Amino acid sequence: MSLDEPASRAPAWRRDFPVASEGEDEVTRREFVRYLMLGSGAFAAGTVAVAGLTSARGEPDAGERSIVALEDLRVEEPHLFHYPTGRDPAILLLRPDGDLVAYSQKCTHLGCVVFLDAEADELVCPCHEGGFSAATGDVVFGPPERPLPRITLEVREGTVWAVGMDYG
Amino acid sequence: MAERRSPDRRPSAASAVGVYVLVLVVLQIFLLTVALDGFHAYDAGLAWGAAAASVVLAASVAVLERLIGRR
Repeated sequence: MSLDEPASRAPAWRRDFPVASEGEDEVTRREFVRYLMLGSGAFAAGTVAVAGLTSARGEPDAGERSIVALEDLRVEEPHLFHYPTGRDPAILLLRPDGDLVAYSQKCTHLGCVVFLDAEADELVCPCHEGGFSAATGDVVFGPPERPLPRITLEVREGTVWAVGMDYG
Repeated sequence: MAERRSPDRRPSAASAVGVYVLVLVVLQIFLLTVALDGFHAYDAGLAWGAAAASVVLAASVAVLERLIGRR
């Protein structure tokens, strides 16, 4: 359809908006679906690539690492460290009942860092408002589907050690 | 005064299929985020499940594109 078309045959929107631009008719519905098909193939390839990367890297070798002296810990004052690798943020909490718990600080939704909301006794992800129980790491609210990975701890001669990782 | 659409201006099956394909591609974006979720959590099973579903959707999109092309 062009502006040269007789006014009687042109659709109403063309008469109300009689402006043409070069190439405005170049993308047909079939071409649009073809572009979508290319995008669909790209998304499928990207998803397969992410899955391949996930398999290739496997779970990191956690090993054992000393974290902090037990006497330096305070209730409601989280101690931040990295475990199992230097790029994995983690959080250690001294509970009011004296228990020690540590979790990966990466939200299981999309990997944002969670922080302690001491009043609510929850670990909160600010990105999409997800919340985890500070006592167990279980999901309390929000979009995350899985609990926070838990770090296995041991106290050796007054020092807290991380000795393993439980991804649930 | 309301305009009557000429027959060639009616929504066609190609338009309906186009919308359906668009929905499938949006689903694939969701599946990509699921795979990234698996990557963060070292969960290869989750990532491969999402990848398999995404490949099936891409194949469906290809079939629908061929159907439109033949009409």
